[in-house]
Amino acid sequence: MKIAVCIKQVPTREWQPRLNEARTWIREQDASYELNEPDAYALEEALRLREKHGGEVVVCAAGPARVQQVIREALARGADRAIHVEDDSLASADASVTSAALASAMGDERFDLVLTGLQSDDHGHAQVGVMLAERLQMPHSTIIMEVQIEASTGSGQAGRLRVKRELEGGWFQWIGMPLPALLTIQSGINQLRYATLKGIMAAKKKEIRKAPLPGGLTPSQQIVSLALPMRSKQTHMIGGPPSEAARDLVRRLREEARAL
Amino acid sequence: MILVVAEQRDGILNRATWETLAAAQALAGDMPVKAVIFGQSVGTAAQEIAPAASDVVVVEHAALGTYTPDGFAIALQQVAISLKPAFVLLPHTYQTRDFAPLAALRMGAALITDVTGINGTGTAATFSRPMFQGKLSADVRPHGNGPVCVSIQIGAFRADAVKRGDAAAITRLDVNIDPSAIRQSPEAPFKEAKQAVDLGQAERIVAVGRGIKSQENIAVAERLASAIGAEIAASRPICDSGWLPMDRQIGSSGQTVAPKLYLALGISGAIQHLVGMKGSRTIVAINKDADAPIFEVADYGIVGDLFEIVPAILSELEKG
Amino acid sequence: MTETLDVDVLIVGGGPAGLSAALRLSQLQKAHGGEPISVAVLEKAREAGAHTLSGAVLDLSALRELIPDYVAKGAPFATPVHRDHVYFLTQKSKLRFPIVPPPLQNHGNVVISLNAFVRWLSAQVEAEGVDLFTGFAGRDVLFDGSRVAGVRTGDRGIAKDGTRKSEFEPGVEIRAQVTIFCDGVRGNLTKELIRRLALSKDREPEQYAVGLKELWDIPKDRIEGGTVIHTLGYPLLEDQFGGGFIYTMPEGRISIGFVVGLDYRDPLFDPHMAFNRFKQHPFVTELLEGGALVRYGAKALPEGGWNTIPRTYMDGALIAGDAGAFLNSMRLKGIHLAMRTGMHAAEAAFEAIREGNTSASSLKRYQDKIDAGPVRAELYPVRNVHQAFGHGLFAGLAFSGLTLVTGGRWFENLHGKPGHERMKMLAWYYGLDVPASRTSNATTIDRKLTFDKLTNVHYSGTTHDEDQPAHLLVHTEVCTSVCGPEYGHPCVRFCPANVYEIIRDPGQPVRLQINASNCVHCKTCDIMDPYQVITWVPPEGGGGPQYTGM
Repeated sequence: MKIAVCIKQVPTREWQPRLNEARTWIREQDASYELNEPDAYALEEALRLREKHGGEVVVCAAGPARVQQVIREALARGADRAIHVEDDSLASADASVTSAALASAMGDERFDLVLTGLQSDDHGHAQVGVMLAERLQMPHSTIIMEVQIEASTGSGQAGRLRVKRELEGGWFQWIGMPLPALLTIQSGINQLRYATLKGIMAAKKKEIRKAPLPGGLTPSQQIVSLALPMRSKQTHMIGGPPSEAARDLVRRLREEARAL
Repeated sequence: MILVVAEQRDGILNRATWETLAAAQALAGDMPVKAVIFGQSVGTAAQEIAPAASDVVVVEHAALGTYTPDGFAIALQQVAISLKPAFVLLPHTYQTRDFAPLAALRMGAALITDVTGINGTGTAATFSRPMFQGKLSADVRPHGNGPVCVSIQIGAFRADAVKRGDAAAITRLDVNIDPSAIRQSPEAPFKEAKQAVDLGQAERIVAVGRGIKSQENIAVAERLASAIGAEIAASRPICDSGWLPMDRQIGSSGQTVAPKLYLALGISGAIQHLVGMKGSRTIVAINKDADAPIFEVADYGIVGDLFEIVPAILSELEKG
Repeated sequence: MTETLDVDVLIVGGGPAGLSAALRLSQLQKAHGGEPISVAVLEKAREAGAHTLSGAVLDLSALRELIPDYVAKGAPFATPVHRDHVYFLTQKSKLRFPIVPPPLQNHGNVVISLNAFVRWLSAQVEAEGVDLFTGFAGRDVLFDGSRVAGVRTGDRGIAKDGTRKSEFEPGVEIRAQVTIFCDGVRGNLTKELIRRLALSKDREPEQYAVGLKELWDIPKDRIEGGTVIHTLGYPLLEDQFGGGFIYTMPEGRISIGFVVGLDYRDPLFDPHMAFNRFKQHPFVTELLEGGALVRYGAKALPEGGWNTIPRTYMDGALIAGDAGAFLNSMRLKGIHLAMRTGMHAAEAAFEAIREGNTSASSLKRYQDKIDAGPVRAELYPVRNVHQAFGHGLFAGLAFSGLTLVTGGRWFENLHGKPGHERMKMLAWYYGLDVPASRTSNATTIDRKLTFDKLTNVHYSGTTHDEDQPAHLLVHTEVCTSVCGPEYGHPCVRFCPANVYEIIRDPGQPVRLQINASNCVHCKTCDIMDPYQVITWVPPEGGGGPQYTGM
């Protein structure tokens, strides 16, 4: 099975936001980076599927040169090779551009299965996976908790997938789909393996194919400005003996804040 | 014209649909707001929406009886070609996330997701959305020629803010869906008791900190939580002591939440905790220490003994 | 299945010493050709530089030798030093030293972010093809008898209760012909070596200080970049060693910190509070007005000097950098010495391996290089300075002045006492009047200029996998019995990261709570605990602070 995993490099969770002068993007010099968390689970899922069904796992990433960090980490964990669409503009690109960049480099590979994280921890659009599926002309399903592959019967027909999709409120649903297909993976569905020393050493020899950013991609949206979320409300201190304070609070919660 | 895509299951409208209608009305300015419902036998749902829109479009087809992303994307695209909306608004639900990007891409339309605010009206409007896990808020302008698609964050607009008038006409629109174009075969949804509690989905949270003093006292907070339909959560020290499980922890080493109501009982408000909850819509803090940092992010604060105030709140709630 | 790896040279620690050693080894390999020498570097942080911090003002001498074309290679310096000031502070005012004492003159040096510098250095090392294993912590030394055979890394994937998680990976045994230990100040592996092989025999006891540092962004035109300020005096008492530093960089970024000797007598003293008080001095408050805190960190420094350096060569191993106490406490500089000793260690290892003899007698050439070169020339004359400060600030200053004039000649070696032994018990220090406030130097915290430890720790970016055993091994019977009455639980005060808390639940016995995930790996607790019942071991690899820009 030829499995692709799309990975993204995002600022670490501990990063304190700092903006550039124009306030249109973050100040990258102050940031430390790591692998987008849902993507780590997608990678782990891909490695497990390869262990079960054989084949190869190819990580695909779009971004500036620094993205090498997470590509190497994925290779060290066991991915076989990588594709990197390298361009500085991809750091702040929207989902339309990012999915087009990835599709241009991935199309010829004819993957059987493509896994992505359900969304990124930086932009949080939750669109790249679905758009990429369409660009690769594959069916998709999102927020997947479990993947079962029913192998092909061998008579030229591709195999099938049965995946467990998460719905709101504690509901779930199994979905059948033909391969090839794309899935966006939910966080926390498996236990992430560590990169071993041998894995880190082997990663240095694995292929990272560089692909150019295709020309003529136009963004579908633009960030006019970024800001720290402002608290517009003042803190209203409620005084008085407990019974009065309680009465005042409950009334305000019901009438002012409409929170009860 | 703004087109709101309603979401329903078994004929019952998702509450987020009303929030999306409220958002549409805020965006509309002079433009009419229409609603569209996909499914089978959605007549009753259409009638519910009718007072809130200028037109309710019902799109019924056998292939839409069960939700699939392929089916809904095909249907939405045809509706958009037919009605030519300037904007398509949807609630940012799991279902929308599953099909909206597909529809948007096919329509050549911009899709701005998880929107918390609308600045301005009509085609000059820009949209606010969270980035970097809520650490920053972005003001976004769409580009391109197709209808601008926007998904509205759950709880960002108030369902009860929807303006109602005379019931609109209900029209039907037929779509062509080739069954072989639907590549997903969904089975019936089922409910499962989830192992870990997902505080991120809770609408109301009652959280306890060191001020609760002992594991037994958490019962007081739990009574308040049941009275208002809230989940119980805690700051780090409580979970470290084992008084509540780790999946109830809010903060930089636990979960980040932004419910409609967050009640912080005996929580001092160390920054590690604040980063996990300061996005909540309404924050109430009760603490003995007037200088506790929690009061800096609270909407309402009471300086006092939570063991006196919480029972008083409970009796107030019983009265109402 | 324990993974094993065999290399020729294993370098433990990816800081300035370790990376300089790695780079030097590949240079020697290229220059001399022959059988390739395999080199591996272990670094416990998720990425090189994440756990390194310093003021810092860099003496370029070692870098010039190691990478002569460092400018062309883009070495990241914030700014050259343009001016030095030294102040003596009283509570409200400051007195400027009319002449900056020569050791504190920084003309020709550069202000750097050590974190950025180490990141750059690690890129140079990786460009040479050296394996840099980040996220791997050296847990135990491997011995063949008394010969150092290598290092075992820590297990990964152990739950809080000690059981193995499904992703469990046992530690790796890495065997090497020569292991170069560059595990930093109070390195846990070097500590083990010193103990097992009596490396400190006939040496003065080690001395330490703790450095607390913040990175701030202040209004851009307030002070020129390249200004280096050191302060003495307030808020420290005459018998407390330490002082403040402020290094300014372009665009309003400044590095501000405070160093406190870990040999203070008052058990109720809190070094972090001293840093807060320093910031409350009008001169500092004015400087930081309207600014924003960017990052916080803390780390110990080896202050003892030449006479406290242990034997640094043994069968199969060498010690370089802060781990070997190679720091000039008079000039407040150690980075160039870490680099220089790393280079010497690489040279010694290379020669020994080529000769096929990595015994102590062969590796002794490392000591010879140190003795013959700039390291001894710099450290020997100032060997007694820190010990002189043990007699008080003015005695220390006077002595330092004399040392400058005499070049360190004529004086017998002064003796010191380990810092933790100087801490007095409550009754000895306070008599019957133990203050009610548990911190003797407490001050107001406003969370804009001054911060509580928990808020500060948030800005260190420190994270650890929560589900792992605490990496601070403590004999807690001491905490629950004698420590309270004798010293008042000083761990709560000397830890700059709020790791230790004493919990007094009503009706329950006093207990120690260890918030291990707050740890910034500074080693203060391992050093300063008066009973020496705290042992710092590395947590699971990858965990710890994120000192970007520090």
